[in-house]
Amino acid sequence: MTETVFYIIAVSLCVFAVLSVTVKDVFHSAVWLALALLSVAGIFLSLDAAFLGVIQVLVYVGGIMTLFIFAIKLTARIGDRSIRQVSQQSVCGGIVSAGIFGVFLIIIYANQWNDMMLPPGQGIGLNGLGKALLTTYALPFEFISVLLLAALVGAIVIGKVKQ
Amino acid sequence: MIPLGHYVLLSAFLFCVGLFGVLTQRNAIRFLISIEIMLNGANINLVAFNRYFGASDATGQVFALFVIGVAAAASVVGLVLVIAVYRLRKSVFIDDFNLLKW
Repeated sequence: MTETVFYIIAVSLCVFAVLSVTVKDVFHSAVWLALALLSVAGIFLSLDAAFLGVIQVLVYVGGIMTLFIFAIKLTARIGDRSIRQVSQQSVCGGIVSAGIFGVFLIIIYANQWNDMMLPPGQGIGLNGLGKALLTTYALPFEFISVLLLAALVGAIVIGKVKQ
Repeated sequence: MIPLGHYVLLSAFLFCVGLFGVLTQRNAIRFLISIEIMLNGANINLVAFNRYFGASDATGQVFALFVIGVAAAASVVGLVLVIAVYRLRKSVFIDDFNLLKW
């Protein structure tokens, strides 16, 4: 059961990601990205990381996607289908990324962990994650909050219209 | 049961699709969309290895959380930069962003 759901989500995630990179209209690209991010949340659920799935939906689909759609709507003319979205180097880009994917395939299939099965148990859970976040990783956690504050202030300063 | 290799394969595919987007898109917003796809591929990798190897360890999930936070900050600043350059040049195409080119 879990396997079937995983493979359905994984295949649809690949399709959504490819569509969001290749489709012509920028707004459609953002919508495909939203679906891909939702599928990533599903993958997290299949890995017993329910909290990360919730955060994925909240931050990515709720926050970042809204921001992307605002940016697309604020910069007019770019939704125009007649404008070419892909640069002339698309063949070269395809060859390079396919080559790197080939290297990844070789690395994956050369390792012993390739066909390792899921160990028994329920995974780490929210309890362990919260404890790790506030004991071992307390300092990086605080740095992230400072970084978010800096990004907030920087976004306001850069985006402000100068009189 | 799902072998670990399938999760890693999925994340490698997502990374390469994002890389293709980063290499080929002309539109700065679609460039940022491709970067988000790459980061999500990396996140799947982190969480999968944490689930398969870390029995009582949350390191991978904590890292994925940090990646999500940094990605949010990065895309906010990136989109605001795109909008600021759009005000200046009336374009979001990377070909037109040649202010620093001499």
